This record gives sequence, C-alpha cells and structure tokens, in this order.
Amino acid sequence: MSATEQRLEDILNNDIWDVDSNPHITVDSEKCKNCNTKPCIRLCPAGCYTMSEKTLVFSYEGCVECGTCRVVCPLEAIHWEFPKSGRGIYFRFS
Amino acid sequence: MAEIPDKFDAIVIGAGPAGSASAYYLATKGFKVLVLERGRSPGSKNVFGGRVYVAPLKEIFPDFEKSAPIHRWVTRERMSFMHGNELVSLDYEGNDHKSFTTYLSQLAAWMALKAESAGASIVSDITVTGLLKEGDKVIGIKAGNESVKADVVIDAEGVNRLVLESTGLVQALKPSQVALGVKEVVKVNPEVLANEFGLGEGEGMAWSLMGDVTSGLPGGGFIYTNKDSVSIGLVMLLDSAISGANDEVYKYVERLKTHPKLSKYFKDSRIMEYSAHLIPEDVSSLMPPRLAYDGLLISGDAAGFLLNLGYTYRGVDFAAYSGYLAGKAIEQAHGLGGMSAANLLVYTKLLDQSFIMKNLKRFSGTHKLMRNRRLFTAYPAMMASLMRHIYSLDYESQKMFNTVLGSAKENGMGPFTLLTDGIEVMRYL
Repeated sequence: MSATEQRLEDILNNDIWDVDSNPHITVDSEKCKNCNTKPCIRLCPAGCYTMSEKTLVFSYEGCVECGTCRVVCPLEAIHWEFPKSGRGIYFRFS
Repeated sequence: MAEIPDKFDAIVIGAGPAGSASAYYLATKGFKVLVLERGRSPGSKNVFGGRVYVAPLKEIFPDFEKSAPIHRWVTRERMSFMHGNELVSLDYEGNDHKSFTTYLSQLAAWMALKAESAGASIVSDITVTGLLKEGDKVIGIKAGNESVKADVVIDAEGVNRLVLESTGLVQALKPSQVALGVKEVVKVNPEVLANEFGLGEGEGMAWSLMGDVTSGLPGGGFIYTNKDSVSIGLVMLLDSAISGANDEVYKYVERLKTHPKLSKYFKDSRIMEYSAHLIPEDVSSLMPPRLAYDGLLISGDAAGFLLNLGYTYRGVDFAAYSGYLAGKAIEQAHGLGGMSAANLLVYTKLLDQSFIMKNLKRFSGTHKLMRNRRLFTAYPAMMASLMRHIYSLDYESQKMFNTVLGSAKENGMGPFTLLTDGIEVMRYL
C-alpha cells in the first residue's frame, strides 16, 4: 500500500469503538428536508451523514466525537452529546 | 459512584492536559481531588496535531523529561507552500530540545498517572452532565442522576463545552469560532524516517504546509514524525470549510498523503488511527465572560486557550499550564478563606501574567489575518512561480525584484497589495 487514496470505510477500520446501544446523536430529519446545503455530509470527518434516496440518514456508531456536525448544522437539527460512561471512540495513537 | 466520598476539596471535569495538570498540582499540595473522565481511561478521548512545547510542562512536572512519553525531539522545522505539484519549502535544523512529538493519548495518560501518584482520585467512565448549584454558587457536579459535591469545580471538559453550555455560561459554538482538525497516524518504515525525513535517532520533524493542501481554504496541513509513525492531517477554519470545501474532509488528508511530492514519505505506510477534533480559533469570542465564578474555574480548550499561528499550534502546553494556574489559584483562594468568586479571581490575574494571555493578546489579530484568502491561494502560488523563475532560467536572468513583481502580477497582485499584505503579516504574526 502506498500512494493511492483510501476509502473512508477502510480508514475508519483502524479505529476502535465501544458502541453505546443508545445513540448519542439524534437528528430531526424533518428539519433536514428544508436544508439546501447539508454541510454535515461533507464536513463530518467520519462520514456519519449520508443521503439515501432523498432523505438524510445518519449513523452514530462510527462517530469520532469531534462535535463538528452540531456546529455546522444551519438548522440546529442535530442533537449531539458525549456517549455515556466510557462508550464511543477509544483513541490510542492520537 | 458508591465508593466515592460525598465531598471533595476540588472536582476536575476531564482528565485531559488541563484537568490532570490542575489535579496534580492540587494533590501535591494536599488537596482532596477527584477527576472525572468520560473516556474509558485518561487519554482515550484526546486528540491533537502532534507537537508539544516543553518548557511549560517542565515547570509543572519537574521530572518531565525523565518519564514522559516523548517520541522525538523536534530538531527540524519545515514550512512548505504547495501550488499544484510544486512545493516551496523552508527547512530549519536546530540544536535544542524545545518541543517534542508524542501521542496525546499517551501524554494525557501519563499526566493522569502523575496526578494519581500524587494522591488525586481519577475515575474514568463518568460523563459529567452538569454543575450542581446553590443559587449562583457551584457546589459540585452532576453525572446523570448522581452528584458529587466539592468546594470548587475545575471545568476542563475540552472544546465541546456541553457542561458550560447546559449551565448557560457559554453559548453553543459557532462555525466562525473553531477550526476542524482531521488526522491520520500512519506506521512508516524506519528507513523512511531516516532517509526521507533525514532524521537521526530521537530526532523529529514538525512540518506545516499551506496553499493547495486545503484547496486554498484558510487553514493548512501538518506532518509530525513520531517514534515509528507519522501524524499527517489538516486544519480548516470551519466557516470557510462550510462554504468552500467541495469534498469530504477525509479526502483532503488522503490527497495530501498521496501528493506527488509527499508520497515518498508515506511509501508502504499503514494507517494506525484516524481522528478529528475541533480547535479553538477565535479566542476572544470563545473565552467565557469570566474564567472564575463562585466555586468554578474554567481551563484548557473549554476556556478557548489555544494559539493557531498557521505555521504552528499551541494547545496542549496552554491547556496544561492553565490547569496548573487553576490549581495555584485554588491554593491561594484557600489561604484567603474559601472558593468565592472574589478569592478565585486570582486565577485571572495569574493567567494575565503568564505566557498564555500574553501570547493570546499579542496574536489577537491572527484570527483576522487567517481570513485573508491570498495567504492561502495567491502567495503559495507566487512563491512557486518565484522559485520556478530561478529553476527554469534558460538564457537571460532577471533581477530578483522584477521576478517578485512578475510573480505577484501573475497571481493577480500589484505592488500595493503586496505592501499592505506584508504590513498585515508583520503586524499580526
């Protein structure tokens, strides 16, 4: 492996999580229907936000807990908390 | 939390650099301190770029160099301007041990261990969700349905200030206030560190890159060499990224790593970890209205203490030192009779006298300077065309002055723009 760009899934495969059964992110997808820009899709470093058909879908499992989505969301549609009690991403080399 | 006594002298929210430095100081002075960490262990939620300036840490931890997880001392400082497939670099080779590379996950774990050895109680797996108050006075913390009391709370929760927000002490973060840092730590062949980076045993490189790294968006790239790995990533001001980033952010890192002029440094590399973090950027607007309240001090990223100069970042040393000063302030307030806002105000005074506030004030215009797009587009391009002129002389040589003006003109800048930008850079950096 050298000078070829890797896919996000493969990059994220190197991280470790202890996923909480309760999502620490909730999204009011009704609000997203009125959002033209959807900066969460490009700016979430973990690609947690994607479009499926014409609806914004999200997954909290691969979140790296930077908090970017809640800051960039123009409609305050994203409710983001820290995963509870030791859950979520576990950084070792960062 | 049954095993925890119901009252402490001080509770620290977060076992990051700020939290552990304050806990360490207070514990050495005999205070009963509890540190609550939301991660499974201290350091497991910490992310930084890759380099720490050592002087403040040596003051806090006298035996720092003996046992801290120092990967490499930065002996080479490199700054590059990227324009397409061209790269213009300044390379400095120093002789001192002023800063080092490490993993913050390891450094934060080490600092927490120091605090624990000094007598502080560190409890992981606990997410503090709010402050316990009696009128305006903070008397402890809440974690879900449970609460613990203390004479004073140090909020060192980091840049995502969910506790402070929930208490109404600060507003939610705005895109103009922060930058997004995204990074990969990659395992590299030891020969790459020796031959491509040109590093000897224990020597390290701190490398900042500007220009097409971020597709001309305000921000830049960074590369740091660790013991047997390299940290590579980039930082983008979030408001500019919202309007200007056309691709998913991870792609910018991948593109940097595979850039024709950089790929040799990452030959046969393997990703070890991928991470991201928000970085305080507009410090004056991020700083809470006050840093000392009745029973509460705020330190580290939560207080907005970070200096981003484009070519270097100082966050970890600022955080640790602010935590250390919070500890000193509590010690002094204790001597004055208690943790009232009036007694704790000494924290603000200590900060003002320290390198933290002196630096933040000195560079308060940097945030404005970062909004000058030419620094990230036209100037890297100009540097490249300037060097290209020298590189590709066929017959006739031009005078340097004419070459500079010519390069500027190629990139849409006249002498007046050069002059005013030059003055701005001199003023703010």
